[in-house]
Amino acid sequence: MKDVIDVMELQRERNKRITPVDYRNLDFNGGFTPARFIFECGMKLQGQPLTLATAAILMHKFFKEVDQSKYDCFLIAASSLYLAGKVKDDPLKIRDIINVAHNTLHRGSSPLEIGDEYWSMRDAIVQAELLIMRVLKFEVSITHPHKYMLHYLRSMESWLGKEQWSQVPVARTSAAFLQDFHHDPSILDYQPQHVAVACISLALQCYGVRLPLIEDKDDETWYSVFVKDLQKDKHWEIMEKIMDTYNKEPETA
Amino acid sequence: MSNKLTRYEKIEFLGEGQFATVYKARDVETDNIVAVKKIKMGSRQEAQDGINRTALREIKLLQELHHRNVIGLLDVFGHMSNVSLVFDFMDTDLEVIIKDNTIILTTGNIKAYIIQTLQGLDYLHRNWVLHRDLKPNNLLVNSNGVLKIGDFGLAKLYGSPNRINTHQVVTRWYRCPELLFGAKLYSTGVDMWAVGCILAELLLRVPLFPGESDLDQLTKIFAVFGNPTEENWPGLKSLSDYVEFKPFTPIPLKNIFTAAGDDLLDVLEGLLVLNPLKRFECSKCLAMPFFSNKPAPTPGSKLPLPQNIRKTEVERPTLKRKLLDAVEGGSLSKRLFF
Repeated sequence: MKDVIDVMELQRERNKRITPVDYRNLDFNGGFTPARFIFECGMKLQGQPLTLATAAILMHKFFKEVDQSKYDCFLIAASSLYLAGKVKDDPLKIRDIINVAHNTLHRGSSPLEIGDEYWSMRDAIVQAELLIMRVLKFEVSITHPHKYMLHYLRSMESWLGKEQWSQVPVARTSAAFLQDFHHDPSILDYQPQHVAVACISLALQCYGVRLPLIEDKDDETWYSVFVKDLQKDKHWEIMEKIMDTYNKEPETA
Repeated sequence: MSNKLTRYEKIEFLGEGQFATVYKARDVETDNIVAVKKIKMGSRQEAQDGINRTALREIKLLQELHHRNVIGLLDVFGHMSNVSLVFDFMDTDLEVIIKDNTIILTTGNIKAYIIQTLQGLDYLHRNWVLHRDLKPNNLLVNSNGVLKIGDFGLAKLYGSPNRINTHQVVTRWYRCPELLFGAKLYSTGVDMWAVGCILAELLLRVPLFPGESDLDQLTKIFAVFGNPTEENWPGLKSLSDYVEFKPFTPIPLKNIFTAAGDDLLDVLEGLLVLNPLKRFECSKCLAMPFFSNKPAPTPGSKLPLPQNIRKTEVERPTLKRKLLDAVEGGSLSKRLFF
């Protein structure tokens, strides 16, 4: 039986290895921790990807303006999710957010009873929501890189040819890089179009995909058909920032 | 923050809605007259749910929309647990104008209002915004005769192919047949139908289809246009709330709008099409002969205003007006003579 790989066993082993993070032991980590909390809670709440991206951006923008040590980052994260649901017309119920956030912070605990603790949490989320709005000067509309990425990828599908496109998961990987980059506040520093291009570039490099009909010369880049104002060094800088995001991930024992 | 509180000097109370109180105020920095809409956060129930969705929609959308015929959001500020929105001040709205019996709505006047409505709406649709609550009450008019589309509490971005929307939008009398049949995927047609109803109301001075229930609404619509069929509206019967109505014989619009010219009837017929995909878009309407034919649309300054607004102007002539009067021998007295 040596030559047969027991897939089920492998899977059990992999599951065993993942211990959920205990957020209470993590530090702020430049906004990485609350962003991770947003994505975990948001996925449990079955929020749309763009809603979660909005929540992360709102949270990063908020902490850019204030002294981070003065606010509870999990409260701001929960409140950002609540506000993002309203901004994106993807309603996340406040009761669900409280339950999910509470259970994610205190894993394995029973749901919060309707009582003083619940009501004060609800009050805190609502107050924080208004605070976030005011700190952001009520500018809560966000231009996401996602829509640019979609159109770039669509054009590349025919550029690369259907066959190669279906063999290499460029689109999936680009989308994954984009979502993960939302863990890092440096996403705020770049234009959405540039972020979209950098994520795709990184995915192309990962799989060693070369676009046909184009030569990598100093004055010509594959993305110059999509964006005209992205310098090569800026392009590299964003790609490095994306890769750097993964170094910030806390070790899960 | 404190300067925001003193920046807008309250002049008078204008009205109270379900979610907000509106004041007329003076912006002391620019000396402009503005409308301040203070969102109610008072009651326990609202405080629990945080910022009001309607207000958030208005803030989110209007911050990015700038057009002569769309209400301008000039400022947003918060104080304590309140949020206030500062808008262009508008003297009146089409509902008041339609109901004011002392106002005569000539073809030129109607043309001016509808052109402005369509231009504002064209801008919204080009920017992927559906208004979803067009009615005379939400078409605001200022004393210069400029019409602006207001109240974006139900407005929403459209164009996402898989987005499910609620059909419980648009005040019933202006609601199009597909919404009444429960359509959840819809587009600019919902606003175009409402414009058709508003145009009809400008002519009739009463609502065209004052339905008393959703079914009565459809009955009134079909009584004029006849029943829709799978032939002229493919997919009709698959709408979730579709029901069969007793057969109606269509009435020619000519018989309802006896005073309207053929070019105007063409516009109505383009807007009030049962099948939403055949209904005209703004740009297509604006290119119709009615809008370039005579009479020309009335210039803004000559558009009629309701009595109460006219009166205040006569009582308190502005300095500019006084000066002009002195030069031209009194533009005001001219108006009083006829």
